[in-house]
Amino acid sequence: MLSFKIAARFLRSSPAQSALIIAGISVGIATQVFVGSLITSLQADLIDSTVGSSPHVTLLPAEGDTSVSGSLADEAVAAAPTDSSGDSLVSVAVPVRTLSAIYADGEDSVPLSITGGEAEGLDAIYGLAEKLTDGTYGLGEAQVIVGTGFAEDYGVSAGDTLPLLLPSGQTGEFEVSGVFDLGAAAANDRLAFIDSASSAEALDMADDQYSAIQMQLTDVFASTDVANELAKSLGVVATDWQTENEELLSGLAAQSASSTMIQVFVLVAVALGIASTLAISAVQKTRQIGILKAIGMRDAAAGRIFLWQAALLGAGGTLGGIGLGYLLIWGFSFAPVPFSVSPEPAFIAISGIIGMSVALASSIIPARSTSRLDPIEVIQGG
Amino acid sequence: MAELLVAETLGKIYGTGDAATHALTGVSFVVAEGEFASIVGQSGSGKSTLLNLIGLLDTPSAGRVVLGGTDTSALRRKGRAQLRNEALGFVFQFHYLLPEFSVWENLTMPAQIAGQRVTGEDRTRVMEMLSLLGLEGLERKNANQLSGGQKQRVAIGRALMNRPRLILADEPTGNLDTTNTEAVYELFRRINRELGTTFLIVTHDRAVAQQTDRILEVRDGELVQDVRNDYGPPVR
Repeated sequence: MLSFKIAARFLRSSPAQSALIIAGISVGIATQVFVGSLITSLQADLIDSTVGSSPHVTLLPAEGDTSVSGSLADEAVAAAPTDSSGDSLVSVAVPVRTLSAIYADGEDSVPLSITGGEAEGLDAIYGLAEKLTDGTYGLGEAQVIVGTGFAEDYGVSAGDTLPLLLPSGQTGEFEVSGVFDLGAAAANDRLAFIDSASSAEALDMADDQYSAIQMQLTDVFASTDVANELAKSLGVVATDWQTENEELLSGLAAQSASSTMIQVFVLVAVALGIASTLAISAVQKTRQIGILKAIGMRDAAAGRIFLWQAALLGAGGTLGGIGLGYLLIWGFSFAPVPFSVSPEPAFIAISGIIGMSVALASSIIPARSTSRLDPIEVIQGG
Repeated sequence: MAELLVAETLGKIYGTGDAATHALTGVSFVVAEGEFASIVGQSGSGKSTLLNLIGLLDTPSAGRVVLGGTDTSALRRKGRAQLRNEALGFVFQFHYLLPEFSVWENLTMPAQIAGQRVTGEDRTRVMEMLSLLGLEGLERKNANQLSGGQKQRVAIGRALMNRPRLILADEPTGNLDTTNTEAVYELFRRINRELGTTFLIVTHDRAVAQQTDRILEVRDGELVQDVRNDYGPPVR
């Protein structure tokens, strides 16, 4: 521990120099924590608004068939790939019927994309219950739930009756049980949900005939793999959100790459800062190291002085940086943006480990040069 | 008395080929336990080179140093560092104290380097050392807060702390005034007498050498004289 004691004393003997480099590391780690958390939260928000209220994988009838059986939902859960703990990647599988209908209100008419199913199942896929802005969640017979965009455009509210022209050619009267806000204008304008029996009747389907099985996964980024696997094993057509949103995903990938680049350059700057400070310190303390070696300090112990200095600077800078990062995230909560940045403990822990590793790696050169220093160089130098 | 130090045909060459400089050639002598000896010579004569070889701070180009029965030519850097810590005490022209540490910490540094815990016995020894050096009450002071003479006395104390068998002093009073110079040599003598510590003092000052029991003279890298002191009048 003598190396640690000497390292701490060397740092304390140059307080301004030590404080400046700790501040430098702190700013670097804070940038890493903030930018990383910002991009992660932004992407999580984008993905949530894209797939949080929609199916991740949809199973459609095989070519030549017009419907799938309701039991396909259970088969899909059983046949889906599993995660590392052996659980199916499919968290929810719901049989639904999809149809188009037209709402006509005097001179206005608008097509609606309707999904019919059990209220509980639809809630599991779309999260409707907590996204209702009007009415109460439930789908009794001949009830419909519409989006806020549609409701505002046509002055509809819970309790109103909605005439819908169905594929069967008949016009059905539906009671509006609720109005939802899924956070996407297209969905709020054109999407509607009706009860299972009404959808079966509209499509002239038997009780066990459905248009599709809609599923949500525990890992949204496994959708393509799950879809391919289920299409193969169940002999149906499977679509997934990743394939349908390739542009979004390539945008997110580009964003991640640029975020990683920023973080790498920040860490390189931090590493260079620590390395240059330690190199200067090694030169400043050559005399002390030389005399310590002359009175018997071993090369390895002398080298450890700079490893400890780096560890102390790294620890101080990393802790300060994490604190500053949290402060920035807190400050960002007051910014007028539609999403919040939440600190990810695992990411912050990784940032801390990277910060410490960079600090220790930065000390290798001064530690080695100190380790190799011959005391005679100092003694002869005077 | 038992042999403590054997210098055997020591040579040191700096550089190679045409640029080679023979700093020391074929120097041999033996120092017994408890001796109080000096190495004298003009500036550039090779006396400090000799001291650095004996002190295991440098390696000879030829010959070998046997210290306390250990052939140091067989030792690697780690072993030489350990022997420096355990068997040798250094006092240089410059005090080389660690300015970041207190007098107490500077004094206990050799023990800490040896990995020893500072025990009650060590504390007593430090207090005795401070008393011997005339530095009572200064133990908590930072090394930077001392006068030149005080710093050199702390450096002497540090050299003595691990109870080394041999103290090597290279122009130890080169930066001190006459009063402090005399005080330091009186201290060396007292330590030699009371603790039986062996001293080998490098100096260019014959007056200083005259105060030691044995004088080894180095000229142009060779040992030209090795005499017992007859304590004649100082040559100053």
